[in-house]
Amino acid sequence: MKKVFALALGILTAIGGFVDIGDLVTNALVGSRFGLSLAWVVAVGVVGICVFAEMSGRVAAISGRATFDLVRERLGPRLGFANLLASMGVTFLTFIAEIGGVALSLEIATSVNEVLWVPVVAAALWIVLWRVKFEVLENAFGLAGLALVVFAVALWKLGPDWSALWGQARSAAPPPGESWTSYGYYVVALFGAAMTPYEVFFFSSGGVEEKWTAKSLSTMRLNVFVGFPLGGALSLSIAAVTAVVFLPVGVQVNSLAQVPIPVAVALGKVGVAVALLGFFAATFGAACETGLSVGYSVAQFFGWRWGKFVAPRQAARFHAVVLLSTVLAVAVLLTTVDPIAVTEYSVVFSALALPLTYLPILVIANDPDYMGGSVNGRFANALGTVYFVVIVVVSVAAIPLMILTKGGQ
Amino acid sequence: MADRPGFRRQYDAGLHLLDRQIVGRDGLPVAKVDDLELRVRADGRLAVSALLVGPGALGPRVGGRLGRWTVSIWRRLRPDADPPTGRVDATLVTGTDSAVHVTATTEELGLDGFERWVRRYVVEPIPGSGHDGS
Repeated sequence: MKKVFALALGILTAIGGFVDIGDLVTNALVGSRFGLSLAWVVAVGVVGICVFAEMSGRVAAISGRATFDLVRERLGPRLGFANLLASMGVTFLTFIAEIGGVALSLEIATSVNEVLWVPVVAAALWIVLWRVKFEVLENAFGLAGLALVVFAVALWKLGPDWSALWGQARSAAPPPGESWTSYGYYVVALFGAAMTPYEVFFFSSGGVEEKWTAKSLSTMRLNVFVGFPLGGALSLSIAAVTAVVFLPVGVQVNSLAQVPIPVAVALGKVGVAVALLGFFAATFGAACETGLSVGYSVAQFFGWRWGKFVAPRQAARFHAVVLLSTVLAVAVLLTTVDPIAVTEYSVVFSALALPLTYLPILVIANDPDYMGGSVNGRFANALGTVYFVVIVVVSVAAIPLMILTKGGQ
Repeated sequence: MADRPGFRRQYDAGLHLLDRQIVGRDGLPVAKVDDLELRVRADGRLAVSALLVGPGALGPRVGGRLGRWTVSIWRRLRPDADPPTGRVDATLVTGTDSAVHVTATTEELGLDGFERWVRRYVVEPIPGSGHDGS
């Protein structure tokens, strides 16, 4: 059982990254419009985030430095500050969306309007970030988020034509009636949703807080190589059930309330209840992850004391940042902005901002001065470099595709 | 001293000191090395005499309008008319690895003005601020 909990950090990070509010809706929407023809992007994204998180986890374990420390050390104060604003902006947008996502899950369960839930959710979230032990947070939300396995069960229960699904996945081209530009836009969105900077901020900072050393490397790798593929598999199963149920009848998913419908078809009320529990845990976990990540990045840039392992009064500025962002997020949500729209923009902007966070980690993972004998091997470097090129290409393509397709319409 | 792990005979001040984390005697983060104070030694070579920290040191390095604003806002918020830049004397440095280790703590160095202000007026009034989450 202890082994299971040792994986909690990786599982929570991955659930927050792969099946948070943005991915829940984006995957369902992609499944309903493109079938599984974008499944390869999730696979590419899973490998990419594994490469990125493994490097930053290794750097955190060996040098004791979390990701944003290194961003500033390698980019200098000026470019580092620009990156801080960009990454923090993206993470904050995601944080807003996740609080909205928890509220939307509660709206589906209770029929009470989401805007009424927002202050309640934010207050509960802030209490968790203020008082609840990091371990409890990891275990509760990481493991409860696994309730989303219900989508994989639903897929199996629906008894789809597996060879047709495999055919869609192999085609890697838009189905008839969809253009290449909107296909390209969703490539960027899915890739951006898989490789978000905040996953790495959270994972590496969690590692520093858990006092990883060279001895922890195998646990760290297990976290990466179990957590992220699991997250990727969950997000693929959501795309697959919507491809089976919605694609043939031409229904487009554009709200969270539509996402559990395939589960209802396959498993009935109980399935929907489990799916809603999964939505709640995954979005709440992602809200914790992004909320803390905003604090981590600011505190690490300026060299402040940070973290969940010290009392709030020992890391006053860090906790003040977390509190302030929670209050601001509530203010934004109370304007009745659509959380789904916020999250769709945030994944695209996150693809845009990623190279500036990725490059310093790739450089430091090769620096014997920080890493001693644990520098990147040939394989890690080959993959690391290939992914740097991919990230730059996606980042350059993000904004033009967004404008061309008017946000994927 | 010279054979301590993490103590170098030669270092690149830009690479090994600037923007690194300063860690205090208690193992807790103090601040970032925002700039360096150099002096000319008797033999004509430059040596680092202090690590400079805080917005007063960071602003000029950021440069441009943002840098000037950083410095002037920092000056305005300080009680004294001409506030000194935060300084950690080079003699306090015991070694560098991925961080710069010093023999003092943040409190002893008097570099925690903002932290103390936030602690006193924002964090401590909230119940539960003294409990850790480990």
